[in-house]
Amino acid sequence: MSIPRNIAMALYRRFGRQRLRRIALGSIPFIVLITLWYMNGIFHWLPPVFIPTIYSVFEAIFVLQEGCAGIVEIVALDNNCLMTTNIFSSLGRVVLAMLVGLPLGIGFGILAGMNRTVSKFLEPIGIFANSISGIAWVPLAIVWFGVGWMTTLFIMLNTIFWLMFFNAMLGVRGISRTYEQSVLTLGGSSWDVITQVYLPGAMPSIISGMRMSMGFGWRALIAAEMIGGDSGLGFMIFSSAEEYKVEEVFLGVLIISMIFLLTDRYLLMPLEKWTSNRWGLVWRPA
Amino acid sequence: MRHSRHPLWKFGRFLRDANFSHFVVSVVVILVIWSITSATIDNPGRYLPSPLAVALSSVDMLYKGILPSYFADTIRRLVLGSIIGLSLGIPFGLLLGLNRTISDMFYPLLNFFQSISGIAIFPIIVIWWGNSDKTVLAIVLYTSFFPLAYTVLSGVREVPMKYIHAVRTLGATRFQVIRDVLLPGAMPSIVTGTRLSISFAWRAVIAGEMLAGREGLGWMIFTGQDADLTTQVILGMLMIGCSWIILDHYLLRPLEMDTIERWGLVQR
Repeated sequence: MSIPRNIAMALYRRFGRQRLRRIALGSIPFIVLITLWYMNGIFHWLPPVFIPTIYSVFEAIFVLQEGCAGIVEIVALDNNCLMTTNIFSSLGRVVLAMLVGLPLGIGFGILAGMNRTVSKFLEPIGIFANSISGIAWVPLAIVWFGVGWMTTLFIMLNTIFWLMFFNAMLGVRGISRTYEQSVLTLGGSSWDVITQVYLPGAMPSIISGMRMSMGFGWRALIAAEMIGGDSGLGFMIFSSAEEYKVEEVFLGVLIISMIFLLTDRYLLMPLEKWTSNRWGLVWRPA
Repeated sequence: MRHSRHPLWKFGRFLRDANFSHFVVSVVVILVIWSITSATIDNPGRYLPSPLAVALSSVDMLYKGILPSYFADTIRRLVLGSIIGLSLGIPFGLLLGLNRTISDMFYPLLNFFQSISGIAIFPIIVIWWGNSDKTVLAIVLYTSFFPLAYTVLSGVREVPMKYIHAVRTLGATRFQVIRDVLLPGAMPSIVTGTRLSISFAWRAVIAGEMLAGREGLGWMIFTGQDADLTTQVILGMLMIGCSWIILDHYLLRPLEMDTIERWGLVQR
């Protein structure tokens, strides 16, 4: 048995035939694209001002991190470690906006789902706020809060709050009234109804709302940082583009999509699957 | 009861509708809160002009002809971008969906490009083509193409195999399978994808105008902030919101509903 054959057998056992085929096929376009990109670096079909070489994109990491002394400066968000500082400040904004926006959106959403009158007043406002896309709020936010943390946070909250609101509301409305009535018949208070029926029943919808608001919120954040931010990945790529440092822009774009893909694939998608298995009111035949 | 079919009568019923009265009440409440806030804060002209000031500025801008021309610019970009995006995205999604090997090949790629938002690649496009109409169009195409192709592809793949088997058992050719089963089966996702991609395109148009500095509604609110004309900013935002609601509720959503009703593979 040769070594490649052993590796092939191990992969085969690990993934199975179908998945192995899909992984192999799916990687072909990426390999082609990367090869084209690499060959462009050698043959200069398009000048490096437009498409930087792969190596210069890799090098941009070290250019941005130049003068970074070590872990302490990275954690302290020092201006010498530009790349990590911008990554962490973007991530920090996402976490902050999620911490504020999720409870607010879920709370109001459940309230609107329980009460028709509340929802009839809040729904038109929500539809209107949602239709003014995140980036259109940026100029007004700059007037109100100036350039910086508050503006980006405001834009993200605007996106997250209404998405969570609608998802929680629709989730609560989708619960069959039987559950609510049976809890009440068994002597539960309306607080019990909220914690035992509405919250778990709306959970699958809330979690998919979380996934959506992460997707839209991340986009809105990048846009907000470009115009109204003073740090963060969006700010980084925008200011690099103004100086025509195209390799830093490419690096920034790759980091942005990687962060999004990783959080979506390894954090939110498993969470969504787990919740709908655990709490989804789906009838499964035994 | 002939008069009940009169348009005016219908409009009256619409006004008396419960949903509509709630809508009016919430709009009035917002306007009142807005006016009170603007009357109590310092320097309302800079931070929050009153609704009346915004209305007056709209009259002024209508009179000068700026507002209609900006609005027309934005709509023109949206229409042009959507038409090109749709005519590229739908056939591409269908082509990928027809062959399992090809669709397995391109699915991860579409997934990857969908995760890079149009706004993130904006700086790259600006380096390529500068602040031009081409840049805005490229962003609009990029943002609308990938979600559309992705939705159409999954729509074709979700057509149940039993229909294909049934048609083939009855002796259909490959072309007939495509025309009679796959296309109608994918119709609901094609329309859903269309609506999705137009909504992304709308956002992209606004963002593109703001960042690339081309005349339009996005540019109007962006320069309004620069020039300290908050009335212009708010007016632009209201225009953006209202025109999207009208477009979505009276054109795209009915289209989607009708298509799903007509073509949807819903089992009753």
